[in-house]
Amino acid sequence: MIAQSFSLFILFLGFLFTSTQSLRFDLQSGHTKCIAEDIKSNSMTVGNYHVQKHDENIPLPDSHKLTVRVTSSYGNSYHYAEHTESGQFAFTAAESGDYMACFWLSDHNPAITATVDFEWKTGVAAKDWGNVAKKGQIDVMELELKKLLDTVNSIHEEMFYLRDREDEMQELNRATNSKMFWLGFLSLFVCLSVAALQFWHLKTFFERKKLL
Amino acid sequence: MARKHRGGSRIGSSFLLLYVLLISSCFSTISEALSVTVNELECVSEYVLYEGDTVSGNFVVVDHDVFWNSDHPGIDFTVTSPGGNNVKTIKGTSGDKFEFKAPRSGMYKFCFHNPSSAPETVSFYIHVGHIPNEHDLAKDEHLDPINVKIAELREALESVTAEQKYLKARDARHRHRAAENQRNELLRNVWPFGVRAYKGLIKGLLLFKMSATTCRGFLGR
Repeated sequence: MIAQSFSLFILFLGFLFTSTQSLRFDLQSGHTKCIAEDIKSNSMTVGNYHVQKHDENIPLPDSHKLTVRVTSSYGNSYHYAEHTESGQFAFTAAESGDYMACFWLSDHNPAITATVDFEWKTGVAAKDWGNVAKKGQIDVMELELKKLLDTVNSIHEEMFYLRDREDEMQELNRATNSKMFWLGFLSLFVCLSVAALQFWHLKTFFERKKLL
Repeated sequence: MARKHRGGSRIGSSFLLLYVLLISSCFSTISEALSVTVNELECVSEYVLYEGDTVSGNFVVVDHDVFWNSDHPGIDFTVTSPGGNNVKTIKGTSGDKFEFKAPRSGMYKFCFHNPSSAPETVSFYIHVGHIPNEHDLAKDEHLDPINVKIAELREALESVTAEQKYLKARDARHRHRAAENQRNELLRNVWPFGVRAYKGLIKGLLLFKMSATTCRGFLGR
């Protein structure tokens, strides 16, 4: 009886959550495919990838093994794996910016296409919720609500960030306008002064030569 | 992938914790905000677990150095269901939001087609949202309404996050164009300014030369 209710309870929990899914794309031999994500500094990011096997029993041939590199926008490499069939990476982003995960398959004749399953989570989704549940000994509904709270906080922070960017944009536009104004003013001033200079020079010249 | 834990022998509290851990590890929202460079055709696939799930998302073309004028054809976006039908098509656009109800579960393909020769970077976000309903349960189980409410709240928050990502991508594109505009405007004004300064200088020089030589000779001094 207890066991049955437990199993029901577990089933409930299973329906609370959407499952983790991965992104899938095709990679041709000799080609590189890069996927970029904008990550803020000090946020956790987790990624895992594997090459899809057509048949589970046959081991993957060498030609289907890919090389992966994850770099930041400044060029620092955070993960590098060569000739691997699957792998994962996790790091805390030290700098903000676009992080690129590049996959390539070495050239092969005839050209082959490998299907890569890739999953990249940052921020709230990357947090290890299993650990949080274990440490706090909290039940699943509370965990789900904690996740929602984290999501709301991240939305709030993102709004601040967007507002700051909008401020910067306004500042940029204002600076452009003022630069244009001053440049026009300067150009007009230079024109007039050159004309005045010429006028003055001719006048004094002719006066000096007693022509005027 | 969702893991269903069925049945149960006698379960102590430690096992319950283990179950909690296992189940918590299999959840997450399905959403990625990524950018890819589209040369001609670029496709990504995403698995939709339940029929009737709402798939939503947006994409923005963050253009490269090419300044898009009104003649640019834009890019085409298509979504293909696992059965091969076109679920959604958006043609000739530089960015849009989309949403549809998945007619069946399976692997959906999201494709970007770039008709122009210059590669474009597309920043996109896809989210598959599921709200538990009666169909998910086996018979003689009942759906706790609070779980449905929590799922709806989660989906609402996801839509806010999606909107933010869309705004951020558009802001990035706007800022890129504003910086380019500033550079172009400055160049556009510096050139005539330089030409005017140069002309003034030459005129002055010629006048000086002329006054120094010709008039002296003419006036006999």
